Amino acid sequence: MSTSCGNPETEQDALMTRRTKFDKTKTSCFFPLISTRFRKTLGPTINNKRGNKGANARGGRIKGLMQAPGSLVIGHSGGLGSTVLLDLVAKSYFYRSSTSSGQLPEDSLSLGSEHPRNRARGEGDSGDVWKGTPAVCYVEVASVIPGAKERTEEVRAAVKAYSDPTTGFEIDFIPLRLEDAFDEGWWKTVGGTDLKQGARDLGIDINDEALPTLRQGSNIPTTPLQSLHTYLSSLPTPTAIHSAISSLIRVLLLFTAASRDASHLLLGTSLTSLSMNMISGIAQGAGFAMVSEGLEEAWIGKNDQNISIVRPLRDIGIKESAFWAWWSNLPVPGRDRYPSSVSSVPLGSETAASRVAVKQNQKLTSIDVLTQDFIMGLEKDFPSTVSTIARTLAKVTTKEKGVSGGCVVCQKPAQPDVQAWKASISIRSYHDEAFVKSKHPLPPHFTSPPDAGVSAASSPTNGLAPRLCYSCHTTFTSRSSRGIASANEVVVPLPVWVKASLPSSSEDTTVPESKDLQTGSNEDVAQAEVWETKKLSRGSIKDKIGAFLLDDAGDE
Amino acid sequence: MASAEASSVTIKVEFSGGLELLFSNQRSHTLTLPAAVPTDNATTVPVSSTTEATKPADITYLIHYLRDHLLKERAELFEENGTVRPGILVLINDTDWELEGEGDYVVKEGDEVVFISTLHGG
Repeated sequence: MSTSCGNPETEQDALMTRRTKFDKTKTSCFFPLISTRFRKTLGPTINNKRGNKGANARGGRIKGLMQAPGSLVIGHSGGLGSTVLLDLVAKSYFYRSSTSSGQLPEDSLSLGSEHPRNRARGEGDSGDVWKGTPAVCYVEVASVIPGAKERTEEVRAAVKAYSDPTTGFEIDFIPLRLEDAFDEGWWKTVGGTDLKQGARDLGIDINDEALPTLRQGSNIPTTPLQSLHTYLSSLPTPTAIHSAISSLIRVLLLFTAASRDASHLLLGTSLTSLSMNMISGIAQGAGFAMVSEGLEEAWIGKNDQNISIVRPLRDIGIKESAFWAWWSNLPVPGRDRYPSSVSSVPLGSETAASRVAVKQNQKLTSIDVLTQDFIMGLEKDFPSTVSTIARTLAKVTTKEKGVSGGCVVCQKPAQPDVQAWKASISIRSYHDEAFVKSKHPLPPHFTSPPDAGVSAASSPTNGLAPRLCYSCHTTFTSRSSRGIASANEVVVPLPVWVKASLPSSSEDTTVPESKDLQTGSNEDVAQAEVWETKKLSRGSIKDKIGAFLLDDAGDE
Repeated sequence: MASAEASSVTIKVEFSGGLELLFSNQRSHTLTLPAAVPTDNATTVPVSSTTEATKPADITYLIHYLRDHLLKERAELFEENGTVRPGILVLINDTDWELEGEGDYVVKEGDEVVFISTLHGG
């Protein structure tokens, strides 16, 4: 019996006959394979879950009619996955334009011409799977990326390619800009509640871990773009900037979808991108949201509107997406990498020195960039591990449920007692008695312990921190050990949906302005809550974290 | 058609997924490569088959050639450690290069090689 495994990579003399009929890259097999995988992922999510009898094993179709409870919105980033997603959705569920190329899904070929699906296609209808007109929503981010070109028109052209003038079928295109997150005008167009007068100029002080809300006083930004630049430039690390941009885009898409009574928001995240997002997100403290949502997300908006956020390409690798786009001749508008540093004023109005500093800081890396490079290298050499990462997430769960309403900034599930957890696992101040006694060296950017300031003794009841998830709180308050973060005296503006969610007490005129916090600190400190820290024994530490420890096998 | 002595090989190279931006914003290129190239993939030295070690022109040589002669900027976005950067797919006559031996594939007259960048995610 041969002991050879036949793998020519390990044995030079091994002969492994290539069976061309099994080549996945042969287009005759490739298109039906990818299309089937796509519909198998999306199909079971279409109907209202209450009436869903489960997916049919063949092509993901469920038994009976597919009827979504609302309309469809596709989030488009300009990237490869979004382009392929739009093509797959259009060809699988809507009328296919004669200008696009590619093959029909295999299932349709087996259906008769009078089958409702085929008949609806011929009439240029949507097939009545989703209500209303489908839409593609694109968020332009070029305004914060130095040297980036705007791609809104390219994405518009890509969407328009699926229109059919003969039948009048069109996919709506909704262009947004990242600064819309700070625009009351946009907020009103998506049906947002009017901002209370007192909430309009509210911001937060990110130098204080409690993130107290303050009035912006005379420093209030004049335009949404200025607010966006102030927001991003105030964040402490490149990782925080990347995370904040992703969160803003996500929530912009959600509220836009909600305004169209959408039941589904589709995102073009491929298996490779999903793995990157998972590793990167968990490294930033977003594990709770990822795990609690699993691979299916749901967002509940006003009036209990339920939107399913689906990633139908999650079983399709980035390589397969690239082949689909190439063989279908799909133009990919492209997507710029998020910046590692953002100017505090809109591009074009900054000083030369500021421009140089921002450009130099683009070389700073972030967790997202490091993860992307790692996963790309992993996929090249060990492709199966990429899918393993995604599948592992489906196997884990959380011990507790998230707080009602979720995180007010990113709109994702938030674990309870984030602040208490942080307090029990981290050094809160370099003035901590335990830290001083340990004689641990200070980070290189401190030559002496920094001033205790107000942060050691304040805990305003109107702080934003209790309403944030771990990841968002870290985004605002993390400090790089390399000292890249700079002390920021600016009150950071808030996205409109955060302002709208602040309680009515935000109208209270006793909410301090930023200057009060800087000059009246002694009285505030005297009256504020006092924190006391002490070193815990091993037993008490174990009591605190015992809920998170795995049970020993013998205890069961 | 190959020349009688096969001293050169003409191939078509295409770029997609944003890679064309690094190559004068031109998606399609027609290149003529020497049939025999130095084993160290040096692209600037004329090959003297009588004195130097040579090999048939392969994809690895093509990558070096593109980097040295066509690439206009940011070489690190295309080539890394003698091969394409992770995230760049290579198709040889519409077939994944992994099935054709990757960099060791010997280019033939009329071959079409496509480089697709996947580095702009979802």
